[in-house]
Amino acid sequence: MFRALVRPASTIYRQAAIKASPAATVARMPLGLTFARTYASAGLARSDVEKRVLDILAGFNKVDSNKISLSANFSKDLGLDSLDTVEVVMAIEEEFSIEIPDKDADEIKSAAQAVDYISKRDDAH
Amino acid sequence: MSVVAHRSQVLTLYKDLLHHSSKFAAYNFRDYAVRRTRDAFHAAKNETDPVKIEALIRNAERQLEVVKRQSLISQLYGGEKLVVENPKNQKILRRH
Repeated sequence: MFRALVRPASTIYRQAAIKASPAATVARMPLGLTFARTYASAGLARSDVEKRVLDILAGFNKVDSNKISLSANFSKDLGLDSLDTVEVVMAIEEEFSIEIPDKDADEIKSAAQAVDYISKRDDAH
Repeated sequence: MSVVAHRSQVLTLYKDLLHHSSKFAAYNFRDYAVRRTRDAFHAAKNETDPVKIEALIRNAERQLEVVKRQSLISQLYGGEKLVVENPKNQKILRRH
């Protein structure tokens, strides 16, 4: 019974390991369990990233929560100036534990662009 | 110096100042530094006089050095957190 409970989980781990990196080493554990260390880089779900970015925008007092959408331009639609945009980018950096260089940060002008950028960064989590 | 060059310089300064301000261990200094940075940059965002812009940038650079140094010192001697920093209490404070 114990094995029956355990097996599905171990197959998931094995599949995750293959997806994450073909070079990932799968260490054999006692009891026939397979253990693989998986990292967040195995992929953040896009819907999850979108939700977290929109939540960040919703946290800004200046932003009208009815206007928040993925395609809304920070300055044109949400009425944020360049200083506010810097703060949005900083909040995104903090949320996903990444550092966004200035030249990339300049390109982020909407939530959708932020989501695109985060999905390109495999160190985001 | 062109306006475009100023723009990226100012935004970088703003980002660095906020970044280092938010590192103060002491709640009151942290809050003050972040608020003061925001207020000062927003107050000066429509400045067009190149001489004044230059002076504001020089001042911001000096302040950044101060904030970097003092926030580091604050981290070395960081005391206990204040009552208001406890998330549980923040909910209570917001309600009133």
